Formats: sequence, C-alpha cells, structure tokens
Amino acid sequence: MNLKELYQEIILEHGKNPRNLRKTEDFNKDAKGNNPLCGDNVHVYLKLNGQKIVEDISFEGSGCAISMASASIMTDLIKGKNEHEAKEIVEDFLGMIKENPELMSENLDEDEKTKLMSLSGVKQYPMRVKCATLSWHTLISAFDENKEEVKTEN
Amino acid sequence: MNINQIKKEFPIFDEKIQNNDLVYLDSANSSQKPKVVVDRINEFYTKQFSNVGRSVHYLAVAATNLYENTRTSVQKYINAKDKNEIVFTKGATEALNLVANTLGQSYLQEGDEVLITELEHHSNYVPWHFLRKSKNIKINFAEINEEGEITLEEIEKKITPKTRLISITHLSNVTGAILPVKEITQLAHSKGIIVVVDGCQGAPHLKLDMQELDCDFYAISCHKMYGPTGLGVLYGKKKWLEELPPYQGGGGMINEVKKDRISYGELPNKYEAGTMATAQVIAFDQSIKFLESIGIENVMKHEADLVEYGQELLQKNNSVKLIGNPKNKGGVLSFVIEGVHPHDIATILDEDGVAIRAGHHCCQILHDKLNIPASARASVGIYNTKEDLDQLNESINNCKKIFNL
Repeated sequence: MNLKELYQEIILEHGKNPRNLRKTEDFNKDAKGNNPLCGDNVHVYLKLNGQKIVEDISFEGSGCAISMASASIMTDLIKGKNEHEAKEIVEDFLGMIKENPELMSENLDEDEKTKLMSLSGVKQYPMRVKCATLSWHTLISAFDENKEEVKTEN
Repeated sequence: MNINQIKKEFPIFDEKIQNNDLVYLDSANSSQKPKVVVDRINEFYTKQFSNVGRSVHYLAVAATNLYENTRTSVQKYINAKDKNEIVFTKGATEALNLVANTLGQSYLQEGDEVLITELEHHSNYVPWHFLRKSKNIKINFAEINEEGEITLEEIEKKITPKTRLISITHLSNVTGAILPVKEITQLAHSKGIIVVVDGCQGAPHLKLDMQELDCDFYAISCHKMYGPTGLGVLYGKKKWLEELPPYQGGGGMINEVKKDRISYGELPNKYEAGTMATAQVIAFDQSIKFLESIGIENVMKHEADLVEYGQELLQKNNSVKLIGNPKNKGGVLSFVIEGVHPHDIATILDEDGVAIRAGHHCCQILHDKLNIPASARASVGIYNTKEDLDQLNESINNCKKIFNL
C-alpha cells in the first residue's frame, strides 16, 4: 500500500480545483449517480452536437478527493471526443482500474494516458475503487439516457 | 482498573494490521470480542451443540438451559422486572422493526403521529416510514440544538394531541449526545404516549435500569456490547408483549396449529420464531459477565475520561472541527477537516492502523441538517487508551500534511 501513489499531486490538485464543476446550461443528455454507502453523488451533463461529438461536458456533486479528481480528469479528457471514442475510453479506464496494468485506447494520446494513470493507485485500495469509477459509470448512463440513478458498488 | 490488562483479553490486539498495532476507534460501529466470548462459541459448537426448546434429549435440555440462562443474565443486567420481557432478535434493527410492525398492526391508527429525532439512526426511522406508507401515520422530528443535543423542552414542544409514540436514541452515534430518556418517558407517559428507545449506543456504555427508565421498549445490539453478531435484544414491558400480535410466524412461536385455527405461544416464545442464534445467545452471557466483571461505573468513567481527552486534543488541532458539543456526551468523536473528505481521512488513518468510520453513519437526516455530506468518526470502547487518541491525532496531522494543509 502506498499513500503517495494514491494521493499524487495531480489527484490532490484536481480534487481541490475540479475542472468543469458546473452545469452545462444547454445540455442535451445527463445522468445522476450516487454511492449509497458513502453518500457521494455526481450529476454529469453532456452537450452533444449533430455528429455526436461532446461539445461540452460538466458535472456537479460532492465526494472525496479521488472521486472529484476522477470526475475532473474524465471531463477534461472526454471533451472533444465523439460518443464512440468516449465510450471506448470509459471501458479502457474501467479495465485499468480493475485489472489491466495499462491503458490501451487509441483514442488517448500519451499525455492523456499519463494523466489518467495517476488514478491507478486506487487499485491497491479496493474499497476506494467505487470512488474513482462513479463518474465514469454515470457518463455511460448519460450517453445511453438511462433514467435510473447509477449506484456504484465495488 | 488496568486497561492494558483488559486489552489483553481481546485477541485481536495481538494481531498486526498491515504491519501496525491496531488502534481500534470504531466501537460505535461494532466492538471487538473478548476471548471468553469467542471461546464460548467454539466450546458450544464443539461440545454442547443442540437446538433449543424442542427435543427432550440430554443435549437439547442442556442447551435450552444455557440459552435461558442468558435471558436471565440480560434481565438482571438491565434490571427488567420479568424474564419474559427479554426477547432475542437478530439485531437491534430487527427489534425496532418488530416494535414498529406489531404496533402498526394493532395499535397505531391512520393519522396518529410518531415523534422521532434528527439524531436517529436509519433503523429508528425507516421502520416508522413503513407505517407512514402503509398506515398513513405522520412522523415528526424533534430538532437538535447548536450543541447537537435533543432537549426535554424540544420534545415537549413537538408533542401534539395526536402524538401516540416517541422513539428516540439513548445515545447519538454521531454527536454522542445522551438523551434524557427518563425525563422524556415521564413526560410522555403523563400524556399517554408510548416510549421506544434505540439503545444500540446506550447499552454498551451506560448503566441500564429498565424499571428506572420506565420506557416501554428498549432495543439492544449485542455485537456493540462485546458480544457476537447476528444477535439483538428487545426489552418490552410485559403488558405490551402480551397484548401485541406476533411478528414472525413459524416453529417455536405457536401453541396449537390446526387447519382452521392457530394459537400462539406464551412469552417469550411468541416472538422467537424459528431456530434462533443459539450459539450467539449462549456466548452473549459471557459478554454480560465480562462487563459485570469490570463494572459499568468503571466503564463509564474510563470512556468519559477518554472522550474528554480526545475532545481537548482535537479541539487544539487546527482545521479539525468536532461535530456537536453536548454536555452529556458518550464515547463518540465525530469530526470534519476542512479540505479533506472523510473517506480520504479514513484511508490515510488506516495506513497507520487507525480504524475509524467515515460516511453518514446511517444518519443522513442529521448530516443534511448539519449541511455536510459525511463525517469522520472515532469512537471508543473499554480497550482504548489515551495513547490511541494520541495516535489518532498524529495520523490526522499526517493527513493534513498529505493534503498540504
């Protein structure tokens, strides 16, 4: 176990000053997620254009440093990607957090991969994985227009 | 009283937790178990096991006697008038559900009001909510004051002519406030209102005297009382337990079963349907004996000293904000650190072997009121020392360092 790996500077910085923590006023898709055991909650807003490209993405909510940083980094990376690419990135991220040693997506450049890998320290803390994944599951739910709130268990 | 000696009776403290000595500050969640309790479960299963209350063979009779011995021990420990006022349940949650369900079946009517408090654990709110849905009863909330207390005056203010029942915690699992249960009961009874007490935090840490408190029901969680999991106790005044209908149907709770009619058994069997948590009940006798051997006055003194020490320590620590400051406080220190979420606090403390709880502690109503999504909570038990609280403080400082505070 290594706290330094879990709480890297980039995580602390994003946790403290989350990007896109606001509501996209003209959003056309959204979804809510919560973690009933911790009380963490997130609301993801998407604005997709006609070509299904994410023109804007934002989130509201509260949670620990891990969940806020994860949502912040996610929104940063997803902006500008199309729905297909975005979903592929989510799958890649969830795979990495659960078991894969690295990210494999061709839709992320090296800088983006480095940024995202800063969350990999969570792997050693099984109870905290749900903190890191809540906003990502919620993003998928927004794309798919699921009306039911996402509830993340481990 | 030598705490280090008492601590030695708990085998878990011989273990290294991720290479650290265990600093267990999560007793409000569940307490650790003394060796006598663990050994008793093992001994019962190894040498004495049988189901109770049914067969006539030697083991069955012996097990039944052991099972009933615990009932008598509990009766004496909480000074209940009658042995049959002690009902074993699968936990305090089931005890509270039993009360709400049976009162809902035969006592509470549409439009009746139940008064609870903002301090209540979900298990003393959700069962009443079921009745709000099914019977259209109304639930009112007594509000906390600045110190996180519920006063007698506030209860009095919230009682209406339609209030038929008050259900309150004895000791808040978040602010640590000890409620004036005796006075509330006197007031309630003077108006013909029933009183139910959630004693989950009260029972392990306070002197219990049912005849003095005079409440109608009192729910106990055995695993918070140095006892096994899967076991609770419901104390109920005999007149209520006799009058109310059964909660669950099954074996053991019946008198006679015919195709066209069923009659129910006498107390306490009426409320103990099916095979009970036999080994746990029998082992719980050891928990009572363990507490009696220390003396509840000594337990209370030790825990009050710890809380006072911990409170001073955390008050002096910048950026730590304690939740609630009740005059009458049990062994709970809930806090927040500005800039660090409670889950991050808990993870960082865990790295030093310091076990606390983070979250809403099943008290969302209270956290909403305090306008915080979650809090961190350190809670003490008989085995804790001032050194444990020093370590808590030191680990909090480490947490602040990681977060550049």
